[in-house]
Amino acid sequence: MTSVPKQFTPTRQVPRQGLAEKIRRAVPNHIPLEFGETKTDVDVRLKPEHLLEVVRVLKEHRDLAFDFLRNMAGVDMQEQGLHLKIHLYSFKHNHTVQLTVECPPEEDHPHVPSLTSLYRAADWHEREAAEMFGFIFDGHPNLKNLLLEEDLHIHPLLKAHPLQEPEILQGIEDGPPGFPF
Amino acid sequence: MTIWPEEAIVRRHGETEFEFDTVDMTVNVGPQHPATHGVFRMLLTVDGEVVVDCEPYIGYLHRGLEKLTENADYRQAMGWWDRTDYLAGLNCEGAWCMAVEKLAGIEVPERAEYIRVIMMELSRINSHFMFFGAFGADVGSFGTSFTYAWRERERIYDLFEEVAGDRMFPTYFRIGGVTMDLPENFEARCRWLLGSIRQGLEDLDGLLTGNEVFVERCRGLSPVTPEQAINWGLTGPLLRATGIPWDIRKVEPYSIYDRLKFEIPVGTQGDVFDRWMVRLAEAYQSTKIIEQCLDEMPKKGLVLNPNLPKTLRIDSGEVYFRTEGTKGEYSVYLMARGGNKPYRAKLRSPSFCNLSALREMVIGNYVADAIIILGSLDIVLGEVDK
Repeated sequence: MTSVPKQFTPTRQVPRQGLAEKIRRAVPNHIPLEFGETKTDVDVRLKPEHLLEVVRVLKEHRDLAFDFLRNMAGVDMQEQGLHLKIHLYSFKHNHTVQLTVECPPEEDHPHVPSLTSLYRAADWHEREAAEMFGFIFDGHPNLKNLLLEEDLHIHPLLKAHPLQEPEILQGIEDGPPGFPF
Repeated sequence: MTIWPEEAIVRRHGETEFEFDTVDMTVNVGPQHPATHGVFRMLLTVDGEVVVDCEPYIGYLHRGLEKLTENADYRQAMGWWDRTDYLAGLNCEGAWCMAVEKLAGIEVPERAEYIRVIMMELSRINSHFMFFGAFGADVGSFGTSFTYAWRERERIYDLFEEVAGDRMFPTYFRIGGVTMDLPENFEARCRWLLGSIRQGLEDLDGLLTGNEVFVERCRGLSPVTPEQAINWGLTGPLLRATGIPWDIRKVEPYSIYDRLKFEIPVGTQGDVFDRWMVRLAEAYQSTKIIEQCLDEMPKKGLVLNPNLPKTLRIDSGEVYFRTEGTKGEYSVYLMARGGNKPYRAKLRSPSFCNLSALREMVIGNYVADAIIILGSLDIVLGEVDK
């Protein structure tokens, strides 16, 4: 059970300084982490095999207390492989971190540990990432297609998946369809 | 004369009492069903009248928003984004524009910020009125609450049409401001509208909140604790109904929300009745926000940043821009790697996350209550399915 403060006083300034340092100290030394910054959050890069351990530390550490899974987004980085962006939030400290899980580029269907044991909210996020990018979430109870049809095994958000060309039924025949950007 | 012969009484109460084996039955609700508020399907497994399992099926309205966005210019993409939460299109446009502005470092004129907040809060009221009407119909007041809610919604839509030229999907915001300035009589019309909205809220409040049937059906139904709500990923009015005053407009203020004074209404039980009350109070707070904006906004000035590039190109960067949508945390994850198109855009849609907790909420309740619980989530399928 996570602790929810009874009197929640929102802070105006979201603390970003020092969060990276706190995470570095909390996570065991044998796990390699790389730190970066996005426009809004601290970015932590890690390998999929360390994900579950790191997230457990982030959730249970007193000074971090990331109790809320905000978002999960797969990104196809082409030659760098698939990345999984996970945004965690702490109600106690009002800070957000972005985890970037860097999967090895040689794997088409990279294995990532499922976070459903820690966050119930991860269920649908993982199903969506699995169908859209081809991640395999180990330990997920029900990794069926969510938004796509049940028997459709394509991964539309991969960059290799083409967008269908618009079909012009009548009108301008010469020249490619659409606007030249 | 006895009505019941003696043998019959013995058969009813005595040795020949039957025990029935019950068989779980599967009931399919949706996708075309008025109670599912769109094309949403849930497969209920019922034991008698009690739901023992529920499996939601979504994706009937999946339009590939994220893929389309990756293949479109930053400005073109907006047309798809306001079709996500189609009850509050302007909130979605706002989230998209602010995410791109944050990523590209584009400034917005002050007057445009005020106009945006006014329009976004009107959209929020609009969306909440949709909830009041539809939820009343779910609970059983049939057309009455709908009619009351529609009066205000039509007036808000009329104002949108006057300002932006369209009712539901105005595409009024632009990256760097808004398309055009407000019409001359806007302030007077808006103030009149606020009075009308408050009257509408009062009417709905009087119609349903004090209604005994309504209260008996909603109070204590599917209570959610704060810990559960956080773990399930609930945001918005559902989270605030559990007692956590978490509103991104306050916690991580964007636009000009840090200048405005408003309260965050919270519930105590996290049940369906609290969700209703929180939304009523929230719509009222939105009218206060609009009033402050009308008072404080600069009367003249630019509404669109004049120094915008002809083609917006962003070299690199990531942003996870969060806004308080009408249903909860409506956030945009955006990644740029050069060019005039986003490399990746992800919508964190509040309805999607709230709906994923439906199974836990309806199990153990009656079938009729499952409909009310689904109604109290206030989902909008355009946003769930993207």
